[in-house]
Amino acid sequence: MVSPPSDAAVIGLSVDEPEAFGVIYDRHAPTVLRFLGRRAGADVAEGLLGDLFRIAFERRKTFDPARASAIPWLYGIGSNLLMKHRRGEARRLRATARMTADEASAKRASTAAHDARLLFPRVADAIEALPDSEREALLLFAWEDLSYQGVAEALELPIGTVRSRLNRARARLRELLEPGGKKRERAR
Amino acid sequence: MRPVDLARKLRREAAFEPAALERGKAVLMAAIRQASAPRRWPAITPQVPYQDIPAALAFLERAFGFREIPTARFVSAGGELLHATVEFGNSLVGVGGQGHHGAISPMSGGVESQFISVEVDDVDAHYRRAVAAGARVADELRDHAWGERTYWALDLEGHRWRFGQPIRQHV
Repeated sequence: MVSPPSDAAVIGLSVDEPEAFGVIYDRHAPTVLRFLGRRAGADVAEGLLGDLFRIAFERRKTFDPARASAIPWLYGIGSNLLMKHRRGEARRLRATARMTADEASAKRASTAAHDARLLFPRVADAIEALPDSEREALLLFAWEDLSYQGVAEALELPIGTVRSRLNRARARLRELLEPGGKKRERAR
Repeated sequence: MRPVDLARKLRREAAFEPAALERGKAVLMAAIRQASAPRRWPAITPQVPYQDIPAALAFLERAFGFREIPTARFVSAGGELLHATVEFGNSLVGVGGQGHHGAISPMSGGVESQFISVEVDDVDAHYRRAVAAGARVADELRDHAWGERTYWALDLEGHRWRFGQPIRQHV
């Protein structure tokens, strides 16, 4: 059996035969659409999807053929497009935090319920308070299940930089989970 | 709970319309088409005057298979179509207003001072299409000794067009 051509092979072919790029869309558009939707909601995601692939198509010559998959590259273009929709993204995240808190507190006894009610909105606030570069790395890692290597490809950063950004983001979130964490942060 | 798992709790799927993927693909395919056929404006473009531009465009498309280039439209502030461009093969024809730039439609001038030659892939099929669409045949479809099969037609306003296809020479 012949295995289908890799993303890199298809993108390489599309440099001279532009129609080939349609294959990249068919392979990855559903994944990319879900990614955009998780971040900015359905309406914004649907509006951005075509632009994202148009931009990818226009930059196809710059795709690094050593990469196994085009997905991180596409996410990276998406991350840039999402920067213009930061407010909508923050709104969506806080709404999700309220919903998650309600669900969690409905299931638990009073003290734990009280904690859950407080915790998730604080997680949302903490994510929103991260510098753009750390938030982006965290969400690609946690929501899209990219590896460090994948995040590095998406954000066009050395893998060491990705590791340190993720560690910083983790540390900030950990503060929320530890008793007295807030106090320690203030004392610093 | 680990910090990353905490963040993961706030991951929520959006609900999409089924057509969302098709719309995105249409945007991409338009960009691909543009890249695969970059438009080269020919050095010479015949400009043909008409009294009724929209009717001329509809006729040229229906009868002769010319396609308007939508992005090349020139419309007045009041919404009147002043000029359009149609393409066929690797060539363009401008469709403008009667009397603009001193050019006259045969419908008002009564004279066809020139004609436009068009090479087509299948002149018999082209002839049938043109006749069915109401083109007036000025010279019947026939073979010529120099190795061409042609017919002549007049469009709605009397402009003269010659359509031909090279044929194999009889030895």
